[in-house]
Amino acid sequence: MPCGMDLGSRVVKIIDYREGEIHCMIGYDTAQFYRDFGRMDGTELAVSFEKLGLSPELTRLTVTGYGRNTVRVQGIRRITELKAHMIGAMHQSGLTDFTLLDIGGQDTKVIKVTGGQMDDFVMNDKCAASSGRYVENMARVLGLGLEDVAEYIRNPAPLSATCAIFGESEIIQKLTEGIPVEEIAAGVNLTIVRRVLPMLTRFDKGPIVFSGGVAKNRAVAALLKLHTGRDIIPLAEPTFNGALGCAISSML
Amino acid sequence: MQKTGFTTTVPVEVILAAGRTPLDLNNAFITSADPSGMVDRAEAEGLPRTTCGWIKGLYLAAREAGLSEVVAVTQGDCSNTHALMELWQTEGVLTVPFAYPYDRDADLLRLQIRKLMDALGTTEEATDNALQRLKPIRDGLRRLDELTWREGKVSGGENHLWLVSSSDFNGDPDRFETELGGFITEAERREPNGDADTVRLGFIGVPPIFGDLYETLESAGASVVFNETQRQFSMPYDTADIYGQYARYTYPYDVFGRIADIKEQAALRRLDGIIHYCQSFCFRAIEDLIIRRAVGLPILTLEGDRPGPVDARSRIRLEGFVEMLKGRK
Repeated sequence: MPCGMDLGSRVVKIIDYREGEIHCMIGYDTAQFYRDFGRMDGTELAVSFEKLGLSPELTRLTVTGYGRNTVRVQGIRRITELKAHMIGAMHQSGLTDFTLLDIGGQDTKVIKVTGGQMDDFVMNDKCAASSGRYVENMARVLGLGLEDVAEYIRNPAPLSATCAIFGESEIIQKLTEGIPVEEIAAGVNLTIVRRVLPMLTRFDKGPIVFSGGVAKNRAVAALLKLHTGRDIIPLAEPTFNGALGCAISSML
Repeated sequence: MQKTGFTTTVPVEVILAAGRTPLDLNNAFITSADPSGMVDRAEAEGLPRTTCGWIKGLYLAAREAGLSEVVAVTQGDCSNTHALMELWQTEGVLTVPFAYPYDRDADLLRLQIRKLMDALGTTEEATDNALQRLKPIRDGLRRLDELTWREGKVSGGENHLWLVSSSDFNGDPDRFETELGGFITEAERREPNGDADTVRLGFIGVPPIFGDLYETLESAGASVVFNETQRQFSMPYDTADIYGQYARYTYPYDVFGRIADIKEQAALRRLDGIIHYCQSFCFRAIEDLIIRRAVGLPILTLEGDRPGPVDARSRIRLEGFVEMLKGRK
């Protein structure tokens, strides 16, 4: 059975793909995943397939993500996140010409796909500013769930820090100024969009396919549409897009 | 022999003519036993975290080498050097400023090189002798570069190390020449590396602070066949005299001279893509935009801060870039 695994910075996603359909998908907290399913192989950490309940002999496995080198199974295929997300997005959207925006736990990728091929890409500079981690941390400070943050778009409070760490103190400052939580949450959503806009302007034509955990945030999607004037194509499974790309790649 | 340090490539012929041993502080820092620890210690002494890692390394490299004299490039490199030379002055190090004129003005460059001769107590004649002495070594480095891009017998990492070392010839041109000759003889006997599928990369910008960048790229299926700045350090042009040599050198002048060189070499060496390395907090990150507009090849901008191996996030970018270029071939 073709299987795809995306060992991301926040969540490990696994997809079992059979007969052209997603048979089963599972997500694990990354730290928990390695605690439960990791084993030491010499001096290095490796994923234990026995503990995971997956038989490596029966699995045509393709992996991607930060942890892809911790999976050591014979016949395994490793692909980069860029390729995994591109394949997943083409499969889920049915498009071959688009700009893919993926906002994950700590990386943001913008990939230009032309005729089903990766034409160019740009990734955020090396910090987790305006990534999923940023939204998570800000939501925690605001005492909101991620779904709640995604509700707010009106009257965004101006925020200057996009940093997943320094953003916290700025939000506390706003709270002490008496600014409503809803407006700060809207400010968080707008901050994400402002941060990715310069990356999107490099490839400024055609629809934007939006993937990654942050794509579930409807306010961010709406603000993206507002600020780019481009069609934002949602995916049925934005979080599992990379794992799906791996699973599809296993069948190629 | 007295050692004379310098902060970036300067007319090394003048230092040799003055009977001094040249020491490129960048090389001393990055090849030291613990470059990362040097950055930590410089920060512990108070250098800002948000400053170039090279500057912090240079600061302590001069102290660890016990230098009493440093040639500091005050124009043509970065303005952090101004504060660095003042910091050294407070610690009793004699600093000799050297400025590459931004517009490559021949008279100003001549004046600067002459002032350097005066400061170090040497003459134009002795400098010319040093120039002639180094010529066969520079010819050897050109051969080594050709063995990299034309014949595929020298790896990108080897090319980087030899060329980057030509800023000071490891302090001993005679020994450098012997070792280089031996290396070239050995390399010429090798089988060529790579095949039609190998991605041919150019590396531009300042030399990388990562220790294993070239190995990382090679394991991803790419060969670096052009090291822009390192090649410039080797002074790869035929010029009439020392003034012409350092006027032709591209690195310290405007970005457009660099771009002309990059475009010429990219065509000659049939590059598939370019990695533009930018040090964190460096003004050259702005030049990235100009280079992108001009060069017409896929470019990955790679940022590095502290010395050490390529981190996971950079690795993802490098492997993704090589994969994309493979798909285009």
